[in-house]
Amino acid sequence: MTTINEFSVAIQRRFGRQRLRKLILGMIPFIAMIFVWELNTIYVWLDPVEIPPIADVWGAIFWLQELCPGVVAAIEGHGGCTLTNNISSSILRVILAMVIGVPLGIGFGILAGMNRILSAYLEPIGVFMNSVSGIAWIPLAVVWFGVGWETTLFIMLNTIFWLLFFNTMMGVRAVPKVLIQGVQTLGGTRLDAILQVYLPGAMTSIITGLRMAMAFGWRALIAAEMIGGDSGLGFMIFVSSAEFKTEEVFLGIILISIIFLATDRWLLVPLEKWTIERWGLVWKPT
Amino acid sequence: MFYPLMNFFQSVSGIAIFPIIVIWFGNSNTTVMIVILYTSFFPIAFNVLSGVRSVPMRYISAARTLGASRFQIIKDVLLPGAMPSVAIGSRLSIGFAWRAVIAGEMLAGQAGLGNMIFAGQEMDNTAQILLGMMLIGLTWIMLDHFLLRPLESDTIERWGLVQR
Repeated sequence: MTTINEFSVAIQRRFGRQRLRKLILGMIPFIAMIFVWELNTIYVWLDPVEIPPIADVWGAIFWLQELCPGVVAAIEGHGGCTLTNNISSSILRVILAMVIGVPLGIGFGILAGMNRILSAYLEPIGVFMNSVSGIAWIPLAVVWFGVGWETTLFIMLNTIFWLLFFNTMMGVRAVPKVLIQGVQTLGGTRLDAILQVYLPGAMTSIITGLRMAMAFGWRALIAAEMIGGDSGLGFMIFVSSAEFKTEEVFLGIILISIIFLATDRWLLVPLEKWTIERWGLVWKPT
Repeated sequence: MFYPLMNFFQSVSGIAIFPIIVIWFGNSNTTVMIVILYTSFFPIAFNVLSGVRSVPMRYISAARTLGASRFQIIKDVLLPGAMPSVAIGSRLSIGFAWRAVIAGEMLAGQAGLGNMIFAGQEMDNTAQILLGMMLIGLTWIMLDHFLLRPLESDTIERWGLVQR
């Protein structure tokens, strides 16, 4: 008994009591859900075609990777590695769209926001383009680029760019004119004004735009892959569902949400902390 | 306790769940409805959850010492306190739902604007696609302007919870 007590005290010291409590409490619903799922496999309330056994979902990973010769080949994109190929093509597309779309969106947003007249012209376009959801562009993109890589990239890029552009423009416009004039009287150049005043001032709404762009963009990407794609996770679950391979669909859905959660947790939230909170731009209620 | 679970389900986008719903219910109107329900339920539930949690314990205790019943606490303390999150959540969920409708109609082939532009693509009728896109944009702007903004200004701004 004492060894167990000592062990639990050691664990609590190591991870922190509150965090441990939160983690375990948060795991209870997941465990309950998995338990009910497993019960369904034993008693077969619903057909395995509708809800596959957990073992099958796990087995689908190996089944999809069956023809894959090894880890190196998986990275290089060997034709047999279906699962890793689809994951990497989805992620690569996200990264590519981010690398192109984020600087463009922020750059044009700042330029448009600096000029009151220009931004008055561009605001309705921004509102309209954000309202035409990314998914509505898919048929047009298919007509323009055909089914494949360019279409999905275009959809993602489109979603990211307009969201970021609009948010940056709004953020830059909200920066008080006095601050700019203050920098200019102190002898700051235009570049100084952009880097030191506009960019930090608009940072809150840029980060908000970035998180929204990621959320909407990721969803749009999945839809685009389903309708007008030839690779990626969305394509994979769509094809699997047409072939009634439910376990692959479940696997794909779980992977999609895990990837999204991971990017949000380890990329966007730390970014938010680093920039906004460090500069004291957010008031945190205690 | 339910926070991580909700977070997980919120990040499973409604469109990703679409193939399973098709297996369960076939290409029917029910499928589109369930996808919309799914996409709109989780953002708002998640936001209300975190909104209610951000209401300081002190207010609840104060209301309780003044003899408020559980129902009164919910009605007078928790709901107004969570109102900004409720408004944000409803906006988000309507935004997601609108996108899900379009995608759902395209994939399930039910009549609607999404299906209209998809049919336009199959017939190489670009004019029809463009018209559909514009209509989608306009509908959303109308929805935003006449439904969501008044809702927001009636609740949050009136109670002085947001500075403009």
